Amino acid sequence: MSAQTPVIEMRHVEKYYGDLHVLKDINLSVTKGEVVVIIGPSGSGKSTLCRTINRLETIGSGEILIDGEKIPEEGKKLAQLRSQIGMVFQSFNLFPHRTILDNVTLAPVDVLKRNKKEAQQEALELLKRVGVGDQANKVPAQLSGGQQQRAAIARALAMHPKAMLFDEPTSALDPEMIGEVLNVMTELAAEGMTMLVVTHEMNFARRVASRVIFMEDGAILEEGAPEEFFEHPKTQRAQAFLQSIREH
Amino acid sequence: MSKNNTSIRDFLYEEPGPKTRTWIRIGTGIALVLLAWLIYAVIDRFNVTGQFREKYWIFFTRWTTWRFLGEGLLTTLRVAVTAGAITFALGFLLMRARLNRHTVIWRISAGIISFTRGVPTLLFVYFFFLVFPKTGIKLTGFWKITLPVAISACGVVAEALRSGVNAVPKGQREAALSLGMTERRSFYRVIFPQAFRFVIPTLIAEMVIVLKDTTFAYIVSCADLMQNAKVLISNYDALVSIYLVVAVIYILINYGLNKLSDSLARRGGTMESRRAKA
Ligand SMILES: Nc1ncnc2c1ncn2[C@@H]1O[C@H](COP(=O)(O)OP(=O)(O)O)[C@@H](O)[C@H]1O
Ligand SMILES: [Mg+2]
Repeated sequence: MSAQTPVIEMRHVEKYYGDLHVLKDINLSVTKGEVVVIIGPSGSGKSTLCRTINRLETIGSGEILIDGEKIPEEGKKLAQLRSQIGMVFQSFNLFPHRTILDNVTLAPVDVLKRNKKEAQQEALELLKRVGVGDQANKVPAQLSGGQQQRAAIARALAMHPKAMLFDEPTSALDPEMIGEVLNVMTELAAEGMTMLVVTHEMNFARRVASRVIFMEDGAILEEGAPEEFFEHPKTQRAQAFLQSIREH
Repeated sequence: MSKNNTSIRDFLYEEPGPKTRTWIRIGTGIALVLLAWLIYAVIDRFNVTGQFREKYWIFFTRWTTWRFLGEGLLTTLRVAVTAGAITFALGFLLMRARLNRHTVIWRISAGIISFTRGVPTLLFVYFFFLVFPKTGIKLTGFWKITLPVAISACGVVAEALRSGVNAVPKGQREAALSLGMTERRSFYRVIFPQAFRFVIPTLIAEMVIVLKDTTFAYIVSCADLMQNAKVLISNYDALVSIYLVVAVIYILINYGLNKLSDSLARRGGTMESRRAKA
């Protein structure tokens, strides 16, 4: 494997939901340490794209490669691949019947067969790192949205993923909690985590993204460095979209 | 942050205002008076017909009466607990099959579920009492009541469990899969524990039905509480007193089950946190 092999690579990916063409000839690669931000109007297929990468959604045609290897289609192999890609959801999806600590240790112990004590120790460190160390023994419902999302990030990190997918991680949060989550993500990026982030947080994209991708109607319309994209969007649709979110 | 204690009731009904409260009070008052009058009338009728005469109650002072009822009660509980365990196991298997993606498997399961739900318990009891022995397999009275009661309840249990599974948000499965769990592991570790908690009240309600269905035991001459009560009734020629006592025993057991349901439902959310601290 050369240093050039992208961590995530999508080649000519197409997907339909019935008649709806949700992904149109998607070509995309994310190399190690890159932070790629996807923006685009609601319904443009950003979530679907994200979810095909760990095969929560199947694809119609094309290829998705992780570290140069095709995603296994089913079974233990697929589960193993998913364990190497962290995913953070808009709605957190913490396990409500488990404590925060259990949320973080469940997969390392169950899937990676890590020693429980060690897993707990590491989980506590991770929780401290994202700023919810003192919430470890509570259940998710006892935490604020921002705390839950940070715990969800810790849960994903506990699997030592080689890349992280974020699908609008701050969209369900009250405004005053968005910053704390973005800070954690910024730190992660600074530590060299490979990240694919769907977000409308333009400041975050400007500061952290290596590249910005603009999607509309299932297709990638534009791709470029953040300053360039935000200052001089090439397509009219991207201009219109940026205009519309700036107005808010 | 405070725990979320709102129930469905809070969505269905508004908090009553002052006028409504007055009406509720008047209604409650009338209902209480009516109830008191009804109880008085029943007691009075019993009195007039001599149900409180000593000969109908004196045998309750004898230890042997209670031992006899106790033995019946023990059998009732053994039947109920065994039937409950079997019906849960069957219900679980049916639910898993019902949620299977292979059409043949889920259709068969759906068929069995509708069948067991549609057929009255009594018919299953007669099946095990009259039809099943024709196969040449000998069952004791205990199994002749336990099996039909279990089979008759398993479809309802399966559907209850399935509704619980369907009530777990999709994101839970996705989060589990994204962490590298297989479908099976995500089901047992993440989805089912939540689903089970959702349906505890329904399952307990079904246990109450199982308990009530065990009273068919007299048909297969299994000496349960009801059967022994009948023996006492004919021995002492004392119907009302014995029925009253036995009814109270059944009510107490069901009351206990309901209390259990409440306390499980209340503890559900915090059980794991308590365990983690221990
Ligand atoms: N499971 C599904 N079945 C059918 N259509 C879907 C499904 N999921 C998403 N879609 C549709 O696919 C399109 C893209 O959705 P999505 O990827 O969620 O967009 P975005 O995340 O950019 O808002 C939308 O039109 C949406 O309605
Ligand atoms: Mg989306």
